[in-house]
Amino acid sequence: MIDVQHLTKIYGEFKAVDDFSFRVGPGEIVGLIGPNGAGKTSTLRCIVGIQAPSAGTVTVGGHDIVKQAVEAKRQLAFMADEPQLFSYLTVMEHLRLTARLYRVRDVDMRAKALLSELQLAGKEHALPGELSRGMKQKVAIACGLLHDPAALLFDEPLTGLDPLGIRHMKETIVSRGRAGAAVIVSSHLLHLVEEICTRIVIIDRGVKVADATLAELQARPELSAAGSSLEEIFISATAGEP
Amino acid sequence: MFGTLLYLTGCTIKNRVKRRLQRLREPRYLIGLIVGLLYLWFALFRNAGNRRAAGAAVRGAAPIAAIAGPFQFVGSLLLLATAAAAWLWPGVGHAVTFSRAEVQFLFTAPVTRRQLVHYEVLRSQLGILFGSAIATLFLRGGAPGRGWTLLAGLWVLLLVVRLHLMGVRLRRTSLAQHGASGLARQWLPLAVIVAAVGTLAAAVIGDWGRLTSLAGAGEVFRELQRLGGTGAAGAVLWPFRALARLPLAASTAEFGRALPVPLLLLALNYAWVLRSDAAFEEASAEHAEKRATHRGAPRAAVKGAAPTPFTLATDGPPETAILWKNLILIGRFASLRTLVRLLPIVIVFGIIVSTGGGRGVAAVAAAICLPLAAFAILMGSQMARNDLRQDLGNLALLKTWPVRGAELIRGEVLAPTAVVTAATWALLLASAVLGSGLRAGGAGWSLFMAHRYSYLAAVAILAPALVLSQTIVQNALAVLFPAWVSASGPRSRGIEAMGQRLLMMAVLFLTLVVAVLPGALVAAVLAGVVYWLTGTVPVVLPALVAAAVIVGECWLAAEGLGRVLERTDVSAVEPQE
Repeated sequence: MIDVQHLTKIYGEFKAVDDFSFRVGPGEIVGLIGPNGAGKTSTLRCIVGIQAPSAGTVTVGGHDIVKQAVEAKRQLAFMADEPQLFSYLTVMEHLRLTARLYRVRDVDMRAKALLSELQLAGKEHALPGELSRGMKQKVAIACGLLHDPAALLFDEPLTGLDPLGIRHMKETIVSRGRAGAAVIVSSHLLHLVEEICTRIVIIDRGVKVADATLAELQARPELSAAGSSLEEIFISATAGEP
Repeated sequence: MFGTLLYLTGCTIKNRVKRRLQRLREPRYLIGLIVGLLYLWFALFRNAGNRRAAGAAVRGAAPIAAIAGPFQFVGSLLLLATAAAAWLWPGVGHAVTFSRAEVQFLFTAPVTRRQLVHYEVLRSQLGILFGSAIATLFLRGGAPGRGWTLLAGLWVLLLVVRLHLMGVRLRRTSLAQHGASGLARQWLPLAVIVAAVGTLAAAVIGDWGRLTSLAGAGEVFRELQRLGGTGAAGAVLWPFRALARLPLAASTAEFGRALPVPLLLLALNYAWVLRSDAAFEEASAEHAEKRATHRGAPRAAVKGAAPTPFTLATDGPPETAILWKNLILIGRFASLRTLVRLLPIVIVFGIIVSTGGGRGVAAVAAAICLPLAAFAILMGSQMARNDLRQDLGNLALLKTWPVRGAELIRGEVLAPTAVVTAATWALLLASAVLGSGLRAGGAGWSLFMAHRYSYLAAVAILAPALVLSQTIVQNALAVLFPAWVSASGPRSRGIEAMGQRLLMMAVLFLTLVVAVLPGALVAAVLAGVVYWLTGTVPVVLPALVAAAVIVGECWLAAEGLGRVLERTDVSAVEPQE
């Protein structure tokens, strides 16, 4: 579903992502982890078309994100770490706008179900300024899920959520994966990645250093020497502090 | 502790200057600085030239001196309006300007509120002094007194205004904290403001018969000035007039005589602000939060959502959805408030229409509406920014939408075009209704009056096309040079920012000429053919054709810009200062 091939992203003279390739199939939940400044967000932004790759290709559902941007984006949803909402639109208006842009017909029914799933019922007419950060995050996620995307990308999805929200968010991600969506979760919360991801991709200084299931990573002698937890593997793979 | 706060101020200034110098390595700032300096040099050089030309004989009788009375009158009205607006509308007078970082560091530190108030007052002096100095540089050639009296006068005036706005803000916050009972206690200043405005209105209404019978705008203004200087209205305006008088002092002696009242006002406001310090932290924190959330939004969110301009259907082109979104931006934050603010103007217009009979004040109003309509066509798109310029802060989100770049551009430019066109049409309609009694000499004027409805219809047809072309150019600048467009957050300051704005203005007008030229040529050819066939000069038909050509150009421009937007990197958008 998501195919990243030889992706390179350069800012000026700084190479943020260097010849990075990986694939995410339907039903897979891939954890993209790496230290600060490793190139995770740049990778996600290139995948969803916010930034153009300096080199390499990204396809979503067989559509090139640069050449067939509209078709590719129609299958995508990106939940950024900092929820971006229009301060002058209510929760329901965000959903209506999203529905129109993504050609969702039964917006009222879907919106109701999503708002209920994300504990936003009763907040339909609230403006972002009246919502907590966690609630804004949920609104952004509701907008992302509204068109039932085939590929989902989460950048630090648990930021700002309360314990109940965290549990629901994990369930939401897992249920989307089980329903056949290709999911990428970028997070520093290694226990989250360990818990919900079916595969893990580790990136460091723009370069892929590992791409395997947790069991496969644990089986590698050079990584498992330090221990068997993802945290220990991560530190070993990136040769430093996470 | 004061030394620490002084250290903070010093570091802030030092680093700001350093950053300004560093960013000159970027061509856009360097070019902006050069243009800004050239403008300043040209303006000052011309001032100096004018002074030399005027000669020593007319020293002290230069332009501003000649209109010192009207200047003082208008200044006093503006000062009263500022004070009234600060009390009547929350949001006016954000005079407590701490950043979120300052709130975080200073308000948790062992610093007294009084020290923070002093720090805020002292810190604001930099901006006030700089603003006064620039104004002095521009005005000193025409000012009646010496440079230093103008500078000192402006400084005291701006300082009093600043302190008063700060006091209003603190007072309002303090009262609001006590809920309904607190707001109820606000009746006294509100009553004073309403009484002051009412006194002025009563003076105008009492003299209404004379005002409507006067021939020209000059006579109307002089009568208003007389009213503002006598009786109860004169008493209401007295403190404001005393303040406005200070920078206009013609000599050191006159400055000395004019100084006591402004100094008294300064002392009173200062004492008032210090007494209101209990609400200081709350007001500062609230404002810091609003400034921080300003990114991507024109104002902080308000409680309760107003109705949308229309119901968005689930099917249809994305352009309509973006238009819907951007109209909400205006409607939600401005509709009710704007209507309330416009209400007095509408009432005055109603009175004019019902009593003026198309003469006197009505004719003046009609004569004002026409240039205002022209101003709306030419400059409206610079003010109505509910398009991509506003959305640049949300570019990352916009780029995830499954929408072609051209569709996005078209959707974005529709809302400001609709709003400015509506305003232009309203002004044209007002001028047509009120202008029946306009009198002027010359055969050309008679010809214009005879066919004025045709001309106004032609302008009304051309208006949306011209506004659309201007809006497209504005959005093109945002797409092609996103870093040049102040999308959101604090407005860029400095000479280089001024130069950037001047340069963009020049580009805008140049592009307007280029955009209008093909349409004008086609319309001229059509008008020539019709004249050759019928012997009459058509106006409306060529306007329609010209408008169609301009709209066609805009469509093509949107297609081209859309492709550029699709390739635009979000990182090209200027980070906030």
